Amino acid sequence: MTMSKDVYAEFEAIVGPEFICADPAIMPSYHNTAHAAVILPENTAQVQAIIRLCNKHKVRFRPVCTGWTGRFEPGMLYMDLRRMNRIIEINEKNMYAVVEPYVISAQLQAELMKRGLHMNVKGAGTNCSAMLRGHGHLDQSTSGDDRNHLAIEWVTPAGDIVRSGSLGSADEWFSGDGPGPSLRSILTSAVPPGATPGVFTKAAMKIYHWPGPTKFPVVGASPNYQLSEVPPNMMARYYSFPSVDQMWQAELKLGEAEIAFELMGFNIAMVAANISTSNEEEEETFKRLSKEIQGPGFFIIIAGNSAADFAYKKRVLNQIVSDNNGKSVTSLEDPRIEGILLCQCIRISASIRETFRPGGMFKSIPVMGQRDLTIKWAIGAGKAKEPLIAKGLIVDDGGAAFGWGVEQGHLGKTEIFCKFDPHNAEAQKAVDAWHFEQSDRAFKERYFALLGYRNEPNATEEIGQALSSYHKWWNEIQKAFDPNRVSPEGGALV
Amino acid sequence: MGLEQYKGDMEMCCRCSACKWIPLQKVSGQQFANACPSISRYNFHSYSGGGRLNIGAAALKNGDNYTDKLLDIVYNCQMCGACGVSCNYAMDMEVMAPITEFRIKCVADGKTHPALDAAIANLRKTGSIVPAKGKRGAWAAGLKLKDAAKEKVEVLLYVGDLTSHDPKLHKLARATAKILQKAGVDFGIAGDAETSTGGQAYEMGYQEDFLTQARKNMDYVKQSGIKTVVTASPHAYQAFKVLYDKFKLRGDLKVYHISEYIQLLLSEGRLKPNHRIDLAVTYHDPCHLGRLGEPWQHWEGKKVPGDRFVFDPPKVYRRGTHGTYAAPRDVINSIPGVKLTEMTRIKEYAWCCGAGGGVNASNPEFSQWTARERIAEAETTGAEAIVTACPWCENNFNAAIEAAGSRLKVFDLVELFEQAIA
Repeated sequence: MTMSKDVYAEFEAIVGPEFICADPAIMPSYHNTAHAAVILPENTAQVQAIIRLCNKHKVRFRPVCTGWTGRFEPGMLYMDLRRMNRIIEINEKNMYAVVEPYVISAQLQAELMKRGLHMNVKGAGTNCSAMLRGHGHLDQSTSGDDRNHLAIEWVTPAGDIVRSGSLGSADEWFSGDGPGPSLRSILTSAVPPGATPGVFTKAAMKIYHWPGPTKFPVVGASPNYQLSEVPPNMMARYYSFPSVDQMWQAELKLGEAEIAFELMGFNIAMVAANISTSNEEEEETFKRLSKEIQGPGFFIIIAGNSAADFAYKKRVLNQIVSDNNGKSVTSLEDPRIEGILLCQCIRISASIRETFRPGGMFKSIPVMGQRDLTIKWAIGAGKAKEPLIAKGLIVDDGGAAFGWGVEQGHLGKTEIFCKFDPHNAEAQKAVDAWHFEQSDRAFKERYFALLGYRNEPNATEEIGQALSSYHKWWNEIQKAFDPNRVSPEGGALV
Repeated sequence: MGLEQYKGDMEMCCRCSACKWIPLQKVSGQQFANACPSISRYNFHSYSGGGRLNIGAAALKNGDNYTDKLLDIVYNCQMCGACGVSCNYAMDMEVMAPITEFRIKCVADGKTHPALDAAIANLRKTGSIVPAKGKRGAWAAGLKLKDAAKEKVEVLLYVGDLTSHDPKLHKLARATAKILQKAGVDFGIAGDAETSTGGQAYEMGYQEDFLTQARKNMDYVKQSGIKTVVTASPHAYQAFKVLYDKFKLRGDLKVYHISEYIQLLLSEGRLKPNHRIDLAVTYHDPCHLGRLGEPWQHWEGKKVPGDRFVFDPPKVYRRGTHGTYAAPRDVINSIPGVKLTEMTRIKEYAWCCGAGGGVNASNPEFSQWTARERIAEAETTGAEAIVTACPWCENNFNAAIEAAGSRLKVFDLVELFEQAIA
């Protein structure tokens, strides 16, 4: 759908001619989609004005941050939030930071580290919005998902500005639930479809104590960055276990002991990706490391506030690993490799090397839930990958899944993906089939329920019924907040 | 093959936006985290390295669709290579090569920029990419330098277009010559016979003009029996060392940037900086000396069928690792009294001065915007002066400093070093 010149001029009047474009030349770089236009607001007032205009002309819009992910229907107004890139406040006393959507995690994290503070970095990577709701490597020490959102400034799909929690009553950002309106279940997208309609224009995020240095001592030239030394009272290790059950028991005990700064259930293929600087090196490293493990495993970072605290945490770690017959992969204890992993996992949150580098694409099934249950499902999903690996359609990662416990570890994230070349039609077809079958199996065997993997019209109804008919409530909420259906797909704050 | 050969690379772009930022573990806060001047100034994703690859891939798939906006995107890029470094930290794919090929394609299709056309017209007429003012070898008056075409010399001192034709920059050529004289190097110059390397024509997209210039220069080198070229122009350095090699024109010619050559002379004890210069400085890495000065990697092969983007034989990517970073710093640090403090964005992820890719001609406002950003970064170090090793950077910084009313001074490292050995 093209936008009329008159309507375009009205949008242009809000942001100025430099910050709106409908030229077909730019559309390939916006997800190869023929958007009605791409618009770049600078502040909340402009966002509000744009949304009100969308309602007036019934123009659908989609707000996007760095824009790593997303599939888009043609004809929408693509709201690129790039110009909203300010850190509004770092409140050290009350332990929160207020950011606009286009502040990336790497920026906020660096500012926080200078102050002895830290934050939850999402698994998508520090190249993505710091405001992103989600999970990451640090979930054991910083929790995850919506729990890190405090007060939020939200422009609703109807163009109203809502300030949640304490911001709604006292112009303070310290709480998402009050005093003032708490809209946690809506604003955090804790219910499907997974993305709140409208635009988050500012959000306060919880911040945490950081026991590490104000800045990592990174030396060397790209892509061979490493640390000149492993910072004092920090340690990174990878442990493998004889069985999934023993790994899970160790993970649980570590969560209960609250000693892990990071507990990331990497499979060894992901470790290989992170310490390698090319695809060829990664393949060799994976083969080598595969011979050094006894089964599934996890990566852990211990960070002490003092030498004594560090010694205590190490003792607890060693005891738990030993009780569950875990074994450290000794080649990864090399301080050079240890430093690379510390930096990769804390400052970058891994991500790009382990997902896109090999083939250019990955397709994932991520699930948040009861960790022991989702691990069981993932074992089956991993076995189902093996024929695809054997045929050379997807990258060999040993058929492994990955995941981690959140907070004390019972709740957790489990994810499994296939890395492949999307230009290989046979591979794409095989991966799509695997994705459907494993998502469907999860639902039919009552492990968990996902949306979006089925195209049939009654899919939402069937899955919704299994989830307390959430979809009916969600539809009602959407109608109330978005009467003109201008924000049907919600935001995408990646 | 042109753009076609990079189809797979362009399609590899996963739109992660890493190309917009310096390598993530180097991000030290909200400020100075940007890598790419173009996306930083123009904001639409299309101006980023990734966006440019998306556009290139679409052109191959859907055919050409030239619009004014497309050409605005194409020509508002300094071709500085920062996007490629940030991408290639994690990804195995060519970034700068397809961006360069897209420009070459635009020029081949007649979709040029008038300011760049004018520069190329000047090149064809005078052998200089900048307007020729007076005789090219005028800077050497009174120095009694050898004419490399007439006398056999070990080293050719190549000066470059801008230094030769901008009287304000003659001091750089003279300082360079005096350093070589002081060390007793047997060198000569081409004087009025010197002609542009063509390197800038190449990054503007005029490949044929580049090749014409490259052949002229290599004919001169061969006829004069020259085995070594030394230059204080990173653009010339990159052309002789990298681009001529890419097109298999360089042969065995050794190419040194003056900082590398001074480093060599210092190690041999042929130069000793004795005079103290009490000055707090920061150093700006010129793109063509740093990441773009990395040696060319010759490679021919095919993608291995299957799940991974790998090749037979394995492809070695130019990721900025092997640019010239240590030599200029060693030279600066060899000067007694000079205190070097680094900026946030340095070496392979240094911010561009803004002059490259023809942008100083096609969009002076953007060129200066980029320079002002660098000056602001330099000021945060507390330095009294920004030292660079490129005449284009020096000119751009001086203009930005004047416009901003900054107290920062600008020096080329040869100016400081020559004072230290005087």
